[in-house]
Order: sequence, then C-alpha cells, then structure tokens
Amino acid sequence: MSGPTREDCVGQAFVALADTVVDDYDIIDLLDRLVGHSVDLLAAHAAGLLLADGRGQLRVVAASSEDAQTMELLQMQSDDGPCLECYRTVSQVRVPDLVDVADRWPTFVAAVERAGGFRSVHTIPLRLRGQAIGAMNLFHRDPGPLPEADLALGQALADVATIGILSERAVRRGEVLTEQLQTALNSRVIVEQAKGVTAQHLGLPMDAAFDRLRRFARTRNLRLAEVARQVVGGELDPSELGRSHG
Amino acid sequence: MDTTVAELGTVTRALLGMIRDGGDERTLAGRICRACVDGLDVDGAAVSLFTASDSRQTLWATDPVAEMLEELQFTLDEGACMEAATTGRPVLVPDVHRPADTGRWPIFAAAVAEQTPVRALFALPLQWGAVNLGVLDLYRTTPGRLSDLQWRDALAAVDTASLMILGLRTDPGVHADGAGGWLDHTIGHRAEIHQATGMVLAQLGISPTDALARMRGHAFAHQRLLVDVARDVVAKRLVFTEDMT
Repeated sequence: MSGPTREDCVGQAFVALADTVVDDYDIIDLLDRLVGHSVDLLAAHAAGLLLADGRGQLRVVAASSEDAQTMELLQMQSDDGPCLECYRTVSQVRVPDLVDVADRWPTFVAAVERAGGFRSVHTIPLRLRGQAIGAMNLFHRDPGPLPEADLALGQALADVATIGILSERAVRRGEVLTEQLQTALNSRVIVEQAKGVTAQHLGLPMDAAFDRLRRFARTRNLRLAEVARQVVGGELDPSELGRSHG
Repeated sequence: MDTTVAELGTVTRALLGMIRDGGDERTLAGRICRACVDGLDVDGAAVSLFTASDSRQTLWATDPVAEMLEELQFTLDEGACMEAATTGRPVLVPDVHRPADTGRWPIFAAAVAEQTPVRALFALPLQWGAVNLGVLDLYRTTPGRLSDLQWRDALAAVDTASLMILGLRTDPGVHADGAGGWLDHTIGHRAEIHQATGMVLAQLGISPTDALARMRGHAFAHQRLLVDVARDVVAKRLVFTEDMT
C-alpha cells in the first residue's frame, strides 16, 4: 500500500554507498551520493560537503543543489562558519536557529538569508582516526534541532563514506589520504570547468548543467570526473549529455 | 586543541612566502626546487614543464643527477615523471632497484640504476584541473618513502606551485594584480572562476589555460577583480568574442 519505509531507504543508502567504494570509484562520486542520501534521509532542504586541501583550506566538493547561492554558502565557509568550526573541533555543530548565531557568524547568516530562507544548519564532521578531513552541512527551512537519531544516522553515513575514501584499492596503490583528497579536489576543478562548457553549449544554468553531467555519468556507469574531463577536452560533445540512455 | 591537518609544512610555507616576489618561470622553478631540497629529506629536485606543442623542457635542476634523470626520461620516453604527467597523479618509487616499484618502466629503471646514484624517486604533477603544467621530480640516493608529514608538505607545496605557474602563464602582463592576488588560495579555487573558464573556452574554442588568461587580461584591462569578471561570465552579462580584449 505505502511506499518504502524509512528503514528500507536507510538500508538502500548504505548498500549504495558500500557498492560505490567496492568499484573503481572516484571520491567526488562517493561524496556526491553521500550528500544526496543525506538530503533524502534527513529531510534536509540542502546539503553540501567541504574537504580540506593540503594547506588545511576547506574547499567545496559536493552539493545537493549546484545553484550559485548554495555553492556560495558552502564556499564562504572556508573562511568562517559552522563547517570550519566543525572541521577544527572534529565534532558536530548544531545551530537549531540561525538567528542565535548572527553575532558569531554575521557574514554567513546574512548569506543564508539571501540564499532562500534556511533557518537551521547542522554540520557533521568527516572523521578519520581522530582527525577531520572535511565537514558536511545540512540546511533546513524550519528552525529546530535535528533529532539525535537523525544526527547519528547522518554521522554513520559520513563515516561509511570516509572509510571508503581510504579503501583497499587506495591502500594497495600505496596512496596516502592527502593524495586522495588532492586528487578529489582537482577533479572538482574539472567538474566546475565542465559545468561551464555544458552551460555555455546548451544555454543552461550551472545546476542544470551539473545535473546533465551527473545523470550522463550515472546512467552509463562512468566516473563523473572522467565525463567532465572529456567535456573540457572536447572529446565529448555536450549535446550528447541531453540524450536519454539506451 | 586543533587536531586537524591545518599545520603547514616548511616547503609549503616557503612557497607561500615567495608568492609576491615575481620573476619568470625559470626563477620560480629554481626556488621551488631549492625549497624542496631544504625542507624535505631529498638530495635533489627538478622541474620540467610541458607545453601545448607537446615539447618538454627541464626548467631547473638542482644538480647534474637531477638533470640526468630528466634527460633519461625524455630520451627513453618513459619513467616516473612521464607517468605523473600523463595520469595527473603523484608517482612514488621508494626503491629504484626493486622491480616491483619500477615494473612499468623497466628500461628507465635500468638506466637510472646504471648511470646514477639515485635510489628513491618521487614525481609530483603540477596540475590544474585536467591541465598538466609540468612535473616536480625529487630524488634521494637512499631508498625509502618520505615520512607522512613530508609527503603531505610536498603535495601541498605542489598544489601551491601549480597555482604559481598557472598565475605566471596567464599573467596579463606588467604584474597586473600581482601574482599575489591571483594566488590567494580563496581566489585560485573559487568555483565561479573554474565555471567561467569552461564557458569562455566554449565561447572561443580555446584551451582552459588560454581561457583563464583571457579573463585575467579582461580583468586587468578594466581594472576589475578576476572573480567579478568570472561572475559576469557565469551570469551571461559578459560574453567573450574573438575580437574583444
């Protein structure tokens, strides 16, 4: 009678994340899925994820919506805001009502208001051996604390994804964490450029351009970074991205 | 109380310190190499650049052995540096004498063993998105890896060095906003700049590097910030054409 229960969805999300790390995956694909599942399961209106680069600077790697305002909200937290705090303290940051932190993070709170009236934000660290490698923001339009159970679920999803980053494949190749993160951040540069090429060719806004790239990669089981590289390199015509897969 | 990886390594700090010094690519390459030899447990370093015409050029080598390593790779057309340039990922060779480490380039490994005292090799690509700007090669005459701390420093330094070289290559001239303005990490990694780079390269049918150079040129000519020019491109308020400056 009814659709799948939340438990079903939670199970599917973990299976999907685990599947991703078994294959020859890209970190940005994995984190893109993490953000998507978190929005669905935690009833968030937007989510985004930042990773630290080799200089300890936070940089955006995934967002549930790639529109300019959400991206800016995430990006600005490399300087200040809940993500930076979460990353520095390696613990969750809970802001049930953004009004209460207007003094603490004035620039961030003002930007949140411009971006479409989010009222609360919760931030979950990506932890590895006592260190944070990044942080995930969850935005809600209604004020109020996220239930403990939801935060625990969000943390569990983040932990699974983080463990996946240092997967067996990476260890076998003798890679260290920093190197993997740097590769992911560099992939993100290519994805941004590919969004630009696609937006220009097809006359789309950036978020729609990203959706085309992501859908094309997923339906064909390709890595997002590889599809992006081909678009930037002129090997893949952006008009191909609109075609439904056979 | 910080348990993050925010602590900068010595090489990265040294590179950040020279951002505003100016100079050409060769001067910069020399400084990068020296900072690595000073700050890392390595005996020598070299920077080779790769240009669009597929030609390769060793810009700087700290010593004859480092120079020889570059020469061998270019002559044999294989090696750690070549692999780093092609894949865009760092290549570690903890022991050149161990076939397991060098299986992908047996001829190069044999030549290194015969003609040089090199035992460990680390090749780090200077990468900006899909564009390979060059490779930083580090060598040591004893086998073994770099410590985690030093490796992290080397990777962060290479990230900084990439932005510095990209800054020089796309400089509109006369030290426009100074390499410093471009290199400020919060500018160099702004999403809008990458998105606009993609739009301009599609508008003009040019490479990502040339597209970035056009935007920086425009920003310089109109005395605007690069990030503002990028925002205008993304918002379609500004479209680049062949004949505009």
